Amino acid sequence: MTGAALTVLLYGLITALATGLGAVPFLFLRSISPRVVASANAVAGGLMLGASFGLVAEGTHYGAWQTLVGALLGVVFILVTQRLLGDHDIEFGRVRGADARRMVLIVLVMTVHSFAEGVAVGVSFGGGPTLAFVITLAIAVHNIPEGLAISAVLRPRGVSVLACAGWSIFSSLPQPLMSVPAFLFVEAFRSALPYGLGFAAGAMVFMVLEELLPEAYNRARRPVVAVQVSVTLVAMVLFQQYL
Amino acid sequence: MNPTLVVLLFSAVSAGAAVLGGGPFLFRRALPISQIGWANAGAAGMMLGAAYILLIAGLPRGGGGVAAGALLGIAFVTLTHMLSGTDDLDLNRLDDTSPAYGYQVLFVNSLHSASEGVAIGAAMALDLPFGTFMALAIAVHNIPEATVLCAILTGRRVGVASAAGLAVATNLSQVLLAIATFAIVGAAPATLPWAAGFAVGALIQLVMAELLPESYHQAGHRSIALVAVLAMGMVVFLQSVLA
Repeated sequence: MTGAALTVLLYGLITALATGLGAVPFLFLRSISPRVVASANAVAGGLMLGASFGLVAEGTHYGAWQTLVGALLGVVFILVTQRLLGDHDIEFGRVRGADARRMVLIVLVMTVHSFAEGVAVGVSFGGGPTLAFVITLAIAVHNIPEGLAISAVLRPRGVSVLACAGWSIFSSLPQPLMSVPAFLFVEAFRSALPYGLGFAAGAMVFMVLEELLPEAYNRARRPVVAVQVSVTLVAMVLFQQYL
Repeated sequence: MNPTLVVLLFSAVSAGAAVLGGGPFLFRRALPISQIGWANAGAAGMMLGAAYILLIAGLPRGGGGVAAGALLGIAFVTLTHMLSGTDDLDLNRLDDTSPAYGYQVLFVNSLHSASEGVAIGAAMALDLPFGTFMALAIAVHNIPEATVLCAILTGRRVGVASAAGLAVATNLSQVLLAIATFAIVGAAPATLPWAAGFAVGALIQLVMAELLPESYHQAGHRSIALVAVLAMGMVVFLQSVLA
């Protein structure tokens, strides 16, 4: 059993590292204009909305009520976090104010979402480790756009590409850490899973609607932002369903 | 009942529900701008929920077709906005009484409900009870949407009854497209994932290009995000409980 658990942990770490690849596209991005911030927000918003669609689909599969309760708690979590952050003059690197709040929130939200995903991975591994490699590969690929979402918010606000990769990996670390206990105690975790998935989805959707989209609309033309969000959203759902 | 009659009946209910959007204006001459914003946000959230349930239901019928259809749907909405010169149009100008603006608003609303008609038709073709739920969700969504339209129309000194009538009239394209989509998919079942995908792409694009951008100027970001996330959660939850 411990051997299998170690395998799950090792595979999980690989999937966390893959998240760092999401920062790679930003190596090729030179100037950071208001239009780039708008596009990055739109892409991050589409990716997060798409990811939440996947989480909700999985959560309601385990229980609709539990997913709903989880989602409402996720929204409350963001509201409370914003209140707490609002009381302090927070800094993220050299950035302060509203931008710093968005940066802290995205790292926090994506990290929380990895907790839920880690449990989902562990529970699905519980069926037997034969498919372990395939599942790991799938999750690793699935994590890359999540790193892209984080980097899209951090990079235009002056965080280095390397640090973007670092924060992306950091946000995924709960995934392997949670997958092991979930794998060992499948039954106990299975009942908590829909709450966790709903929580992550509620927090992500709310953050996109409150923080990312309004800023994007302020900095670029409406149809451009809309197309970027819509295409990314649909692409993300298909990507995470089929890879 | 004959399936086509079911489609006719429920898409007519959906279009007719728009009459309720005029309700608030029986009691008050005008609504505070923040309430118009919440009406937009509620309509946006329900529409995002409708896109989610249609996407999840459509994917098993063919991911490739859904993906291609979604891109076509996004392109359709974007191109019709561009070609009609309404892509940067503020759809909630309550003080603009020029005839040209009136026609543009009615035109945009009619096109908007055409895409919703495709959603109802495709959902009915997937499964009649599912399609019925979709039609009822769109019906409820049509109410706040009609309230926004009635706010613009009554601001132009159109009577409440005529405004509510025009709101229903702009939704008639919904009935037409629901039946046409249902008939086409019935005759050529291979088009089902394309039709579902088209509706998903169009609905998301309408939310991102028409409903959300206005709303952020009408009420605070936090209240807009809250209304939208709750409206979306309600549609998703009810569908997964009833399924």
